[in-house]
Amino acid sequence: MPDLRLEQVTFAYPGDVRVFGPPGLTLELKAGATALVGENGAGKTTLTKLLNGLLRPTTGNIVVAGQPVAERTVAQMAALVGYAFQNPDDQLFQRTVYDEVAFGPRAMKRPAERVAVAVKNALERCGLSQEAKTHPHDLGLPDRKWVTIASALAAESPVVVLDEPTLGQDWAAKGRLKALVKSMVDSDRLVLIVTHDLDFVAEACSRTVVLTRGVIRYVGPTISAFADEGMIHEAGLDLPSTTRLGLALGFQPVPVGEGAFLRAIGSKR
Amino acid sequence: MTAALTMRGVRYRYPDTTDYVLDGIDIVVQPGEWLGVVGATNAGKSTFCYAAMGLATEFFHGRLIGEIEVLGTEVRRQTVIERSTRVGMLFQNPFTQVSGARERVDDEVAFGPENHGLEPALVKARVAEALQQVGLSELRDRHPLDLSGGQLQRLALASLLAMHPELLLLDEPTSQLDPGGTKELFEALSRLHAAGVTIVMVEQKLEAVAELCDRVVALAQGRILADGTPARVFNDAAVQQQVGAPIYVRLAESVGLPSPWPTTFETAVRAFNA
Repeated sequence: MPDLRLEQVTFAYPGDVRVFGPPGLTLELKAGATALVGENGAGKTTLTKLLNGLLRPTTGNIVVAGQPVAERTVAQMAALVGYAFQNPDDQLFQRTVYDEVAFGPRAMKRPAERVAVAVKNALERCGLSQEAKTHPHDLGLPDRKWVTIASALAAESPVVVLDEPTLGQDWAAKGRLKALVKSMVDSDRLVLIVTHDLDFVAEACSRTVVLTRGVIRYVGPTISAFADEGMIHEAGLDLPSTTRLGLALGFQPVPVGEGAFLRAIGSKR
Repeated sequence: MTAALTMRGVRYRYPDTTDYVLDGIDIVVQPGEWLGVVGATNAGKSTFCYAAMGLATEFFHGRLIGEIEVLGTEVRRQTVIERSTRVGMLFQNPFTQVSGARERVDDEVAFGPENHGLEPALVKARVAEALQQVGLSELRDRHPLDLSGGQLQRLALASLLAMHPELLLLDEPTSQLDPGGTKELFEALSRLHAAGVTIVMVEQKLEAVAELCDRVVALAQGRILADGTPARVFNDAAVQQQVGAPIYVRLAESVGLPSPWPTTFETAVRAFNA
């Protein structure tokens, strides 16, 4: 099962810049789409980099898909955690989009045939089939972002981390992304989405983790997270548009997402 | 009154390419307007800003056809450095913007005014004012590269504000910001708008565009698809299809409310209550 467990994890950057102090983060997630939300500087990206061994905790244990991260190399973890960085330029270094997306599975020494199928599939689903031979840096930011997402897909890992996937994406692309997350969830993967886009969270993530200044403030269903308006505002977040509108219209229970909003208005009429 | 920005028959393509990224733009932006520029990916939104700033011709080179006047001066008759005393451009990625030469936030903000020869006392006052406008006063002694993405974006804006620009060109200014930072930035921009600064803002958050901007231009394939008030532009079927619209439009349409559909929170509350 692609599950993920953090036990009393503390972490500080060199120079004693503490992100997660004692008693440390304890968190358990299962397959499905989980949003990781919180203010700039809350520790969201740091947390995700602990999952694939890019950063190592000061104390505590992390187990991903049954594997203790402390005993694995970053290369070994890459097969378990596909990762799309927030800034694509931190990640992209191959000469073509195809090679970029194929880099992970090739490095994992997967059979050429399987790599070819995975890459083709990932490019297709990310709308990049026409760009296979393009140099990643000739693409605009939103498309470079899609290349990182395609790379995470092609790794066929049980856990996928998407850091700010909606950044710079237009309306149509967000719809495509939502469908992609759903299909990953349907194939029983654990998708962790770091984002400030709360409308996207409302549409695509059934569970939410709220992080504030290095402390987990909430873990649970997305619906209940946004029902607690006080907690959301304290965490420096906002309500999804559908929830805010539902509240103003006096809908009970408070709708989260377009589907819930339309059901609420349907039952009122 | 001299227009803040005029484009006449503007077409532009990057070097070594055949497609015009801007393909026949005609627009006049009046002083004091807050113009939202929206469009799908690759519609030409960033290039629109680069062209207005003069970067398209001076930095990227490429081929520009037509005329662009910024605050009354043809864009090719002035350098970007000369223009930057009156026009500020904020890039999508704030890492592109910080000088890299300064080790403190306040020194970074002072970079522009100092290089344009302002007196030290005036530089100091401008820096304090700009940091306060973007809510970074408390971080003034930090190293710019120790800031979070959102703080860095606000630092980049402060560096522009210290020049007291008449025209701001903003390329997705909130894309790196959290909801709190987004709200702060929009509040800072609202104050500048109230003070008469002209703002041209590329933005994907269509709800914010509808709430804040006086006027919206929707771009598609380098052309203007629609130009007008947010309420009008986001009720245009072609815009809805190719660019999108605030979520309220989609909800109202799904529920079967009569059009025109609401584009802002307040109008949505009224429409759904009716």
